[in-house]
Amino acid sequence: MLDHCSIVHKGGIVLWSRSFTPEASQLTSSSSSPVNSLIRDALIEGRVAEEKYEKGGYAVKWTFVNDLELIFVVAYQRILQLTYVDDLLGALKIVFVELFQPFLAAFVASLHAISSSAVVLSMTEATRWNFENALEGWDIAFDKLLKGLENKAAEDRKLRLRPAARPPPTPSPGSSDVDLLPTESQPGTVDEQQIARNVEALKNRLRGRGGTRAPGRGRTRKDPRNGRDSHPNSDSDVAIKHKQKGKVLRRWGDELPSESEMASLDFSYEKLSDQDHHPASNDLEALVDEASRGIRNKDGLYEVRDWEFTNDKAADDVIARALSGSYKESKPAQGSLGTLGSLFARFTGSKVLSEDDLKPVLEGMKQHLMKKNVAKDIAEKVCEGVGESLVGRKVGGFQTTYATVRLALSNSITHILTPKTSTDLLFSIRAKLMSPLTSAQQRMPYSITFVGVNGVGKSTNLSKVCFWLIQNGFRVLIAACDTFRSGAVEQLRVHVRNLSMLSVGGAGDSEGRVELYERGYGKDAAGIAKEAIAYGRDNGFDVVLIDTAGRMQDNEPLMRALAKLVSVNNPDKILFVGEALVGNEAVDQLTKFDRALRDFSGAGTAVAKGRGIDGMLVTKWDTVDDKVGAALSMTYVTGQPIVFVGTGQTYTDLRQLRVANVVEAILSD
Amino acid sequence: MTSQRGIVSVTVMESLPLMVPKPLAIILLVVITMVVVLYFIRRGSHTRGNSIMLVGISDAGKTAILSTLVYGQTLSSHASLQTNTCILPLNKKGVTLVDIPGHPRIRAQFREHLPDAKVIVFVVDASSISRNGSIVAEYLHQILHAVVTILPSQNPPAILILAHKCDLLKSGTVPSTSSLGQLATNRVRNVLERELEKRRQSHTRSVAIDELGADGEDSSELGGLDCNGPPGESFKFVEWEGGVIEFIGTWVSIGEKVDLENEKSGNGSNDGLKDLMTWLETHI
Repeated sequence: MLDHCSIVHKGGIVLWSRSFTPEASQLTSSSSSPVNSLIRDALIEGRVAEEKYEKGGYAVKWTFVNDLELIFVVAYQRILQLTYVDDLLGALKIVFVELFQPFLAAFVASLHAISSSAVVLSMTEATRWNFENALEGWDIAFDKLLKGLENKAAEDRKLRLRPAARPPPTPSPGSSDVDLLPTESQPGTVDEQQIARNVEALKNRLRGRGGTRAPGRGRTRKDPRNGRDSHPNSDSDVAIKHKQKGKVLRRWGDELPSESEMASLDFSYEKLSDQDHHPASNDLEALVDEASRGIRNKDGLYEVRDWEFTNDKAADDVIARALSGSYKESKPAQGSLGTLGSLFARFTGSKVLSEDDLKPVLEGMKQHLMKKNVAKDIAEKVCEGVGESLVGRKVGGFQTTYATVRLALSNSITHILTPKTSTDLLFSIRAKLMSPLTSAQQRMPYSITFVGVNGVGKSTNLSKVCFWLIQNGFRVLIAACDTFRSGAVEQLRVHVRNLSMLSVGGAGDSEGRVELYERGYGKDAAGIAKEAIAYGRDNGFDVVLIDTAGRMQDNEPLMRALAKLVSVNNPDKILFVGEALVGNEAVDQLTKFDRALRDFSGAGTAVAKGRGIDGMLVTKWDTVDDKVGAALSMTYVTGQPIVFVGTGQTYTDLRQLRVANVVEAILSD
Repeated sequence: MTSQRGIVSVTVMESLPLMVPKPLAIILLVVITMVVVLYFIRRGSHTRGNSIMLVGISDAGKTAILSTLVYGQTLSSHASLQTNTCILPLNKKGVTLVDIPGHPRIRAQFREHLPDAKVIVFVVDASSISRNGSIVAEYLHQILHAVVTILPSQNPPAILILAHKCDLLKSGTVPSTSSLGQLATNRVRNVLERELEKRRQSHTRSVAIDELGADGEDSSELGGLDCNGPPGESFKFVEWEGGVIEFIGTWVSIGEKVDLENEKSGNGSNDGLKDLMTWLETHI
């Protein structure tokens, strides 16, 4: 039934593992084993709070023993409904820790060696660690546990099949627990009585806690989404119908405008008379904010400056303040030793964090994150993850609970925000342009597609990226694939005109460094993008920036059109443009864009597998001050890095994100 | 002294809103002072600049090397979630061996351990280097940059690039173990030099504009790839300005027990880490 089970240390060493099928054992010895991908994809990325991890046909469940830094992992076929896995993990945890406590403590200590002389001495004595001897007998104990639980599950199933009134999932009480274990005597070193006792202890503990954590959480997660999906749509549809009735006399754009009207409305070309005076040169200075211009390093490379978070106030412990009330309340309820005992415990470093200790602190943290504009779901998941990694951990020295939690939270946020793929756009562009070609091939330009909902600043930030690329000596072609919104093409035309004048800066041949590829309105965006890339290839452009029309994430026809654009042209990067003002909506936008791209672009012929978003560009960053939670929400949802942040109106207002600054901003008050 | 303590304990009693009897307060005070003293002693005795740092991308074999060196047997391992710090008996004293996880999201921890490091061992999986070349080079670039930017008052750590898993290399003939190591180091060196040269080119290619945007802020630009060789040459490890970089080929096999004594006396024939041990002994 099970495929694989292992007990591993957080540092990476596998203490014990067993595979039950040959395929599983083959798989686990490779680097794509379920355990490995669990750690890489879920645990390191802070998705600890999730119930179950699925990978390649396997479902993986896990549990932590935080004071010994152990992870217990069970993998089984995803299609199986194994009811006893949670029980098994719990039982394994208790029995294993009980049996091998001294050895495990020594082992963990050896992995956290501080080079004091005492440790060195003890280490040289026990150079030879014998893991096989130390863990002797565990195999037998494991077999018994597993068999017991499997038998019980089978019994339960039988009972459920019969129309008996007895509720099956409740653990069978008392005496039957001992009977579950096979009675044949084994020559092993393990005391059967002890196992029985442990199982009983576990049962009691589970009963006391009121069952597993699964059902409650599952329900809370589902509810808000269902609600959001159905209602707002129908409401808005009705609203639109009502409005349209009242607006009969409105003049629609289906009759052609007169010549004069067109001329007066087109601001993208300069009038001849204006050009003599060069009035634009005055305006140009307004477009570049010299003070915030990026740095040109000694190699002459033009760099976008990092976005900095300036915090004049001392970075106070907000969380401490927010929690001081609730935290103190929970304290007197501790054991019989009372305040003095806990004080001693604090100083001797033996205070163990319990769920009750953490609860108020984590609740305060969640509130704090939400105040910083982190989406609610994300704040909950991040805090749950932090809590799970702390329960059972010893607090040493003078650390308080909230300091520990704050540190863990800051670590967790740092892990989430740190990109796992390279964000060096210049390098990847150059790598593509320099890659060797066969004689038959033609050099394709590097293409970047900008996608997002309406009005977040796709075109504006596209022009900023364009400015940055021009500064780095690339020839850029802008493809106007927003064929829907009126003025979109003209907007880009203005940008191109400005950029072609701005890019001078001493570089000389600014002419032809940037061009616009436009085909008017109402055409098929995917076709225009394809033509633009072909045009760029033939005319020696290095980069093609594709501007797309903004669209609501729920509008399926438009999302299909976008996916078609992606699958037809297969751009090198797909950047999602989102605004920093977005709160809970960020999750919905990103998940739906990502999923739509993956689902619909996979159906195309050009790309075998659907592809999602490659990175994010967060705009309107200057408007949110320190409420930068959107950055956390966005990176948590997609796992992709934030490539740039847009911070203003001029071409130089593009920044790279420094993770440390964002973490500071999120945790500060 | 006693009067002082009395005064202190009285103030303690006043400041604590607890109903604590006087002798208990004194005991409390003594315990606190002892803990404080112990804490500082422990901190002070922390030796600096004498540790070995194992770095490299995920799945390169860092944890396997650690377990082989420290526990004398190669335990199977998976991606690490946290840094391992072990004491390795070497040259009759204990040396700290630090194993930094290779996952991109947590590898930045190497900066915390860098000031303590005397030796950096950059572990590379020689069997997959041709596939992962650019990823490995990116990490190596960060490390080299960090080493170059260490304050001149501190000695820069020695760097060893370990072509690990060279028993997995496929080659036409069946060569002896020594030539396998040679093959692996050559391959790793070539791939990394090529990839680092690409990175250097990308970072030095410039627009010929001088006076724009020159303000005195320190840039996030990654340097550290300059060579002492003639200008116009491509990147070579031997000419790297930051110091000497050495190469060694190693391997371990999971489940195998390594006899440390045999290895030290030199007759451990099938031990892939022998070269590493001798190198470490000379550099620590």
